Order: sequence, then structure tokens, then C-alpha cells
Amino acid sequence: MSPISRRAVLGGALAVGAASALAGCSAGAGLADDGRSLRYWDLFTGGDGATMRAMLDAFRAEHPEIDLEAVTLQWGPTYYTKLAMAGAGGRAPDVAVLHLARLPGYAPAGLLDPFDPDLLAEFDLTEENFPAAVWQRAQYNGQVYAIPLDTHPYVMYYNVDVCREAGLLDADDQLIPLRGPDAVLAAFTAAKQVTGAYGLVTETYGTDGVNPWRMWWTLYRQLGGELLTPDGRDLAIDDAKALRALTFMQQLTSSGAAIREADGSGSIALFSSGQAGFMWQGDWEVTTLLASGVPFSMTRFPAVFDNASAQADGHSLVLPHRRTRSPAQARATYQLIAFLLRHSVTWAEGGHVPAYQPVARSAEYRALRPQSLYASVVEELALDPPVWFAGSASTLWLEMGAALSPVLTGRATPAEGLAAAKAAVRRLLATPNPVQ
Amino acid sequence: MSTGDTTATRPVGSGPLWTTRRARRSVGDGTTRLGGGPLVTAALLVITAALAVLWVLPLVWAVLTSVKPEGETTAIPLRWLPSQWTLDAYHKVLAAGDILRWMANSLITATLTTVLVVLLSSLAAYGFARTTFPGRRTLLAITLAGVVVPPQLLVVPLFSEMVALNLVDTYWGVILPQVVAPAMVYILVRFFQALPREVEEAAVIDGASRWLIFWRIVLPLSRPVLAAVAIFTFISTWNNFLWPFVVTTDPGTMTLPVGLTVVQGSFGLRYAQIMASTVLAALPLLIVFVVFQRQIVRGVAHTGLSGQ
Amino acid sequence: MAPHPARTQPTRRRDWSGLLFVLPFLAFFALFLVWPLVLGLGTSLTDTTLAKDGQFVGLANFGEALDDPVVWSSLWHTLLFTLLSTPLLVLVGLVFALLVHHLTPARWLWRLSFFAPYLLPSSAVSLIFVWIFQPDFGMADGALAALGLTPEIGWLSDPAVAMFSIVLATTWWTVGFNFLLYLAALQAIPDTYHEAAALDGAGGWRRLWTITLPLLRRTTGLIVVLQILASLKVFDQIYQMTAGGPEQSTRPVLLYVYQAGFTNFRIGYASAISYVFLGLVLVVALVQLRLFRSPEEAA
Repeated sequence: MSPISRRAVLGGALAVGAASALAGCSAGAGLADDGRSLRYWDLFTGGDGATMRAMLDAFRAEHPEIDLEAVTLQWGPTYYTKLAMAGAGGRAPDVAVLHLARLPGYAPAGLLDPFDPDLLAEFDLTEENFPAAVWQRAQYNGQVYAIPLDTHPYVMYYNVDVCREAGLLDADDQLIPLRGPDAVLAAFTAAKQVTGAYGLVTETYGTDGVNPWRMWWTLYRQLGGELLTPDGRDLAIDDAKALRALTFMQQLTSSGAAIREADGSGSIALFSSGQAGFMWQGDWEVTTLLASGVPFSMTRFPAVFDNASAQADGHSLVLPHRRTRSPAQARATYQLIAFLLRHSVTWAEGGHVPAYQPVARSAEYRALRPQSLYASVVEELALDPPVWFAGSASTLWLEMGAALSPVLTGRATPAEGLAAAKAAVRRLLATPNPVQ
Repeated sequence: MSTGDTTATRPVGSGPLWTTRRARRSVGDGTTRLGGGPLVTAALLVITAALAVLWVLPLVWAVLTSVKPEGETTAIPLRWLPSQWTLDAYHKVLAAGDILRWMANSLITATLTTVLVVLLSSLAAYGFARTTFPGRRTLLAITLAGVVVPPQLLVVPLFSEMVALNLVDTYWGVILPQVVAPAMVYILVRFFQALPREVEEAAVIDGASRWLIFWRIVLPLSRPVLAAVAIFTFISTWNNFLWPFVVTTDPGTMTLPVGLTVVQGSFGLRYAQIMASTVLAALPLLIVFVVFQRQIVRGVAHTGLSGQ
Repeated sequence: MAPHPARTQPTRRRDWSGLLFVLPFLAFFALFLVWPLVLGLGTSLTDTTLAKDGQFVGLANFGEALDDPVVWSSLWHTLLFTLLSTPLLVLVGLVFALLVHHLTPARWLWRLSFFAPYLLPSSAVSLIFVWIFQPDFGMADGALAALGLTPEIGWLSDPAVAMFSIVLATTWWTVGFNFLLYLAALQAIPDTYHEAAALDGAGGWRRLWTITLPLLRRTTGLIVVLQILASLKVFDQIYQMTAGGPEQSTRPVLLYVYQAGFTNFRIGYASAISYVFLGLVLVVALVQLRLFRSPEEAA
């Protein structure tokens, strides 16, 4: 008949199709609250992500009645921004991973819900099962806002074959501990001669590149330096110590002992293809390196200066704010958290030091090699100051990473890097606190 | 009148874009309109071919990376061809599953946005171009001023609005703000203004209502320009990043560009996998382009030149 | 009941029914463009955060924005990107179009090659170019090494270079659109112009300079306007390739708005920056209007 009716039919068909598509979507848009389905978010984009997948699969097998939807978002500001926006949009997941040092930036803003002490007790998630310093960081306003899962220090990976050939191993094939800046430089240079490519590889720049901060904070804390005054209101950087650390960092790359330009995944690719003797990175690349087949081991970050502190943060599990949370939903949520902690020896296989003490003290964990070789670092952690702008992937880290990266790549002098770093911290201190 | 308007109103398929033979006839030297001998032609051909190779090289490099075993992706000196071709990366990416879901989300949101843009914009443009209600000029001026306000600038208040409307993480949240396309209204207003009035006036005399005239006379006459508006709305919505990135937080509702950036489905060394998902993400529109090349190229001519 | 309702000025009549055609669009326009514009202005006068509604703080956010060096540096990065990318995108588009227009063999193939990248999502473009720009094992360094060059360019790691690398990637990605606009304009030039000139004995180059390019002036004006507006909105590829780095040397103002509002929760402050940026866009648009205004435009 007429073109109109043909169009009407077509339009009608389209409308029906669209309506059904959108209906399907809005069904998914309502948040489940009956304890039968859980949404979980993390940011484990390193080798540890695969480990977490395995643990979540184990949970699914043990709890077939719970439909668990797990998502890994891009590590860094992308993740933290999405987490906050999901909370603000009323679409937060039931459980999410949060770095412990980020808690001061999330809990006061009302973006998280506190844990219920009774339920925590029921699932054995109580104070005595965690290291005191870590547990204390999980509190805000007298309530528990985070359940610590692990501590993850900055560590040193080394290629066993390369180091053996360079004469850096002892009779048991363990790295002879490196002490002092000269020993460290000499070891990397020796390794470089063996590989013919690189001595140390590490991220010196990159999208959301925070490794320069990790390195500097480690070295600076080894000298006993502070970032802020104890009340967190003023800058307290000790110029002499800060410069010593920065000068050493520049020496690493300018002497050729360390790679001058590599981003995070690039440095891992080089180490796992055997083109480097050492790598400085967080402890989470174990799984990736095991899969690559490169002969490697790990050890604590060397004591370049006065002590053997190493930068660290930790993962914890939190409850993003929800407008409602039924008892059944809460129970399922706590069940998942408790499961992950009780099975955190699997998690430790991915490299992290478990926070749950029954696991940390277990023989099973201590037998893990190389994962337990650096566990002793938990007594000498260089943690972030507890302020709203600090913590993994925070504005502080990004700004400091940006300020210090040119010292490694040789585009700025240590003094210029320090000036940029101080300016960045001052700017953050002057910014009105958005979470109070 | 500008040269473009002649293209815009020329019936489908007769534009010079498609009649390469005419060039042959008119200039007479066989292959180039610049004149010059076969030497010039050969030189131009070589230059063009070199540029074209340069232009497709990044895509070829992405494809080559995606079919390498992971260990070969970071070899120094770099290897162009894999020692052993493998679709392993594609298997892994597709097994992770999300990419197909994001494609579906992109398809749904881009299709609905396109339908709504074409519908709303053509109605409005007809109203502006062919009717004389009071306040028409003011409203048209306000609409045109909207062309200058980039929607990207409004992401912060728009997000607050979506929170208030409870539309965060829904298809409608992705679609609705993208439905406002003042530039498309402008293009269609110009087009409708250039249509001859006689046919419509005859219909009015026959007693046809405005709606009937719009549906039965104006829209059929405008098919090419509507197709152009639809094609470009679809491409830009399919590829739009910032707004869907802001308004979706759940991977279940993310569109393809957002999911690709925000979600990580695999771990460890994954350059081959990253390039495999990139190739997969690039494929749908590339296929569409290869199939509809003529229509799309003509579409640009319409949107671009009729806006002159 | 007039006896001849339609005879006199059938389409000039005062006719409210026209408003019905316009209303649906205007409703969306009001809801999703005007309203957020107003809402944003209101919010910019408060200290609203992502988590809570704020108090009225007057012009404090604007004062802070004007004092914030990052606002100025990010505005500059946006402007720099626009200044670098616009001429490149217009010129390369023109050259490609001239080549393809004058070349008949395998035209579809050239057209496909130059236009294809335009069809990729920004994420795909960014992933490809981050991969190409990898130090040592990336294609950029690899290709130079194959030519015997090892200039050690920090494509995305050197703050002095990164913006150029992004502009390069952007040119590759979006020049196809301008190329097609030029191609269409070229093919709309009647052949009689060229024939007449050829009869007068004008050579190919002369015809290009005296006929083709002058006839493309209007098209160029349009492309420049569209390109500047598009370049000012840059966000996607920078967010995905460098996240504004290295050393924040590529952070465009839209990225700073996103960071201030969503990453650092300061919705009120982010709204204020948006309005500062809107001011810039309006200034550019007004300047363009003056430069490119044509007589017929006054419709």
C-alpha cells in the first residue's frame, strides 16, 4: 500500500525491538539485594589478576547459590574515579578492592559503608587476626571501613641465570644482599655486561606512571625523611635527604646501570624475555614472570642507604556505599570477603604478603618461594601519610610520579625534580579538602 | 549558490564523484586531470601509493602483532612477521567475552541514537525551514547557538543530572544527551530550504496536512541527506568516548571504546591480545565502510557541503 | 470559515502547527543542553562534591580557577593541540584529496586507505599508537632503526615531544574526514573550468593554483571552522595515550575538568573550570564568525 503504512510497520518493529532491548537492560539496572547475586570490582591488572580470578572461581564452586559477577577495571585513577562515580550514581558494586592508604580519601566522603562488628566477629574478621599497624589504618571514626587483604611492598626481582653468571649469587643460588649505593650500581652494571642489554629495568615514565614516586619514597624513607608534618597540614621534606635519593636515582640511569626509558609493561616485557638482570616493581608480577618461564627470584629492596625500608601499600576489601543493603545481601558479601581472606595463601602465590595472620603464620605460606622471601619487609614499610590525597594511584602519586620521572629519564636535574615535587605537594595541601 | 549545493541536490548516483570516465573524456590525457605526460602520472601514482602504504602501516602492524606468539611481540630488533602465525590472542580475547557484549551495547545505543537524531532533527528542521509559527527565528537562533557549545563541556553537570534521573549505567543515560544534535538540524534546515516549494504547495492545495506533506513528500525527497546524517551520527556515536565513559560504570552497559579502555580482561604479557582486541574493535565499521563505501563518501559530501 | 483557506499564501500563513514539528527536538535540547548549562553555572557557585551537595560560595571557585596554574597550563595544551593539529589536518587532507582526485587508477583503494582510520574508535587508535611508540621494540623506533637511524626519540616519554606524537596520531586518525570533504568539493568543480584553462594553454600546476585552489576557498573555510571546534574538544586520545603526561605536558583542559570533578570529587570547582573553558570556546567561535561569515549566512 502507501509508503506511510510501510514506514509505520517498520517504525513499529524498530520501537518494539528497542523497547525489548532496553527492558532487558533495565532489568539488569536494578541492584540485586536478596543475597543471591554479588557484584565485585578490583583493579588487579598485573599478574595478580589471574590469581584473583582463580580465587573467585573457587568461591563460585563453593557457593553455587551465589551468582558472583567480578570485574577488573584499569588500575589507577581510572579505577578510583569509576568507584567514586558508581557510588555517587547509586550503582556501586557490593564489594570492592581499595588500597588501604586511599581510605582517608573515601571513608570521610561517605563513599563507603562501615562494617558491622557483629558480622565481622561471626566471620572471624577481627582485630587479633591482623597486624596492629595495618588494622589501625582500616579504621575511620572508630568504625571498621576496610578489611585488609595484603601488604604489597616494592621489591627487587632478579634473573637467576644472569646474576649467577655475573657472580652475584651465593652457594645456595640466592642473591648476596646488596648494601650501599656503590654495591647496587656495581651489581646492575655487572648484570648489564652479562645480558648485553640492560642491568636494571623499571618503569621510568608512562600513562599514570607512579614508579618514580615508589622508588624515591623508598630511598627517601631509607634516609628517614618525612613528607608532611605529623598533623598532615604542612610540607616537611628534608631537602638534603631528598636530593641524596634523587641524585642516586639519576645516577642509576645516567650511568647506564638502569634503563633510561621504559613504561611499566615495557619493563616487564624486557625482564621476562631475559634482557635484564634486575627489575624494581611491586610484588605483583610473580604470576606473569612464572608464566613467561624466565628464571627469576625475588628479594627485599636493597638497603641503598641507612635502612632497608621499602615503599608499600596494601589491598583491602570495602563496602562501597549503597542506599540499601538487606541482611541477606550483607551476609553474602561478608561471606565472600571471609572466603578471600581465609584462602589468601593462594593470593600470596601472586606475590602479595597476606594480612590475615592465620595465613601469614602458616607453614604453607612460609614454604612459598620466592613469595615469602621478602615477607620480613613488613617490619620496615614506607607507608603514605594518612591524608585524603595520598595512597596508591592518588593525585599525590601521579603528581610526584610526573615531577620525578624526568630525573630518571635525564630531562631534569635532581634539584629541578625536587622543586617540582615540592610545588606539587604544596598545591595539594592548598586544595580545599573535598571529603570533609 | 555554492558549488556544494548542486552536489547536495543532485540525484543519487549521478555525482561526478562516481563518474571517473567523465574526467577521462574531458581532459583527454587518460589518467590525470592535472595534465602532464605519463611521467607526471607515474610520479603521482608512486607518491600516492607510498602515502597510502604509510597510512595503512599502523593497521598492518596491529594485525601482525595480533597474530604473533606473545613472546615475539617484544623482540629487539623488531621482527615484522611472526615466525609462527597464531590466532591464540583472538581466542583469548573472545573467550574473555566482554568484547562482544560491548559491541552489542554500542550497536544498540548507536542505533537508537541515530534513529532519534534523524527523527527529531528532520522534524525540527522542517518546522524551522517551512513553517511560520511565532518565535521561529528566535528558536532557530538559539538552536544554532547550541552548535558552539561542545557537549563534552557539559559532562560534569550532565552526570549530576543523570544521577538525579537515576539513569547512570543505563542505555538511556548513554543515548539521551547524544540525541541533541543542533549541527544536524542546521544541515537539514539548509537542505529543506533549498528544496523547491512547488510540490509542497500543490499538495497543500490538494488539502494534505503538514504531517502528510512531511512524511510523503519532503522525507522521500531528502533520502540522501538523511542517509548522510544517519551515517555520521552512527559513526560518531559508535566511536564516542567521553560521555559513555562518564555515564557508564558497569562493564555490562559500557560501549566498545569505553570497555576497551576501562576494563582489563586478561593479565600478564598481553601485547598480542591488546592488538587482537583492537583489531576486533576496528572491524565492524571497517566492514561497513568497505560494503557501503559509495554511500558513505557521498554522505560526507552532503553533510559537509550542504553546510557551506 | 474562509471560503478559500489555502489559496492566499499557503505557506506564509501564521501557523502554530509548525511549532509541533520543532517541539520534540526543543524538549531534548532544553533537557540535555540548556538545563545542564544552567545547572553547571549554579553548581560552579557552590562547593558541591561528588558525595554531597555544597554550600553557596559565591565566585570562590572562579577565583581559585584563575589562580590555578594547572587551569592555565591545560588551557594552553588544548590551544597548542588545536594550533598544531588544525593546519596539519587541513593541509594533509587537501593534498590527499588532490592526489586522489587527479588519479583515476584504483581510486577506491586510495580512498579506502586514507579514510579507513577515521572509522576506528579512539581507544583502538590509542592502543595502536602507544604500541607503535614503545621505546626499542615499537614500530616507530623499529622503522627508524631499519633505516639506520637511532635518534632515541622519547615519543610519549619526552614532554617536549609527546604532544607532537599525539598530533601525529590524531592526523592519522581523523584526516580522512577532511580528505573526503575536499574530495567532494573537488569533484563538484565543473570540468569546463579546466577545459577552458587548458585551451588557454595553462599547465597543470598553473590550473591548480589559479583555478582549483581558489575554488576550494569556501570549503577550506568550512573545514577550518569545523576542525578548530573539533580540536578544542580534544580529550579521548590524550586520556588514553598519555593520561595527560609525561609530566602533565599534554593534559588538555577537558581532562583537568574530569580530574577535578570526578577523580578529586570537586564538582563545583570542575564546573567553574568548564565555564572558563566555555568562555574561550565562545571567543574562538566569535572570531571565526567574523573571519568566515558569508553574506548568505544571515538566513
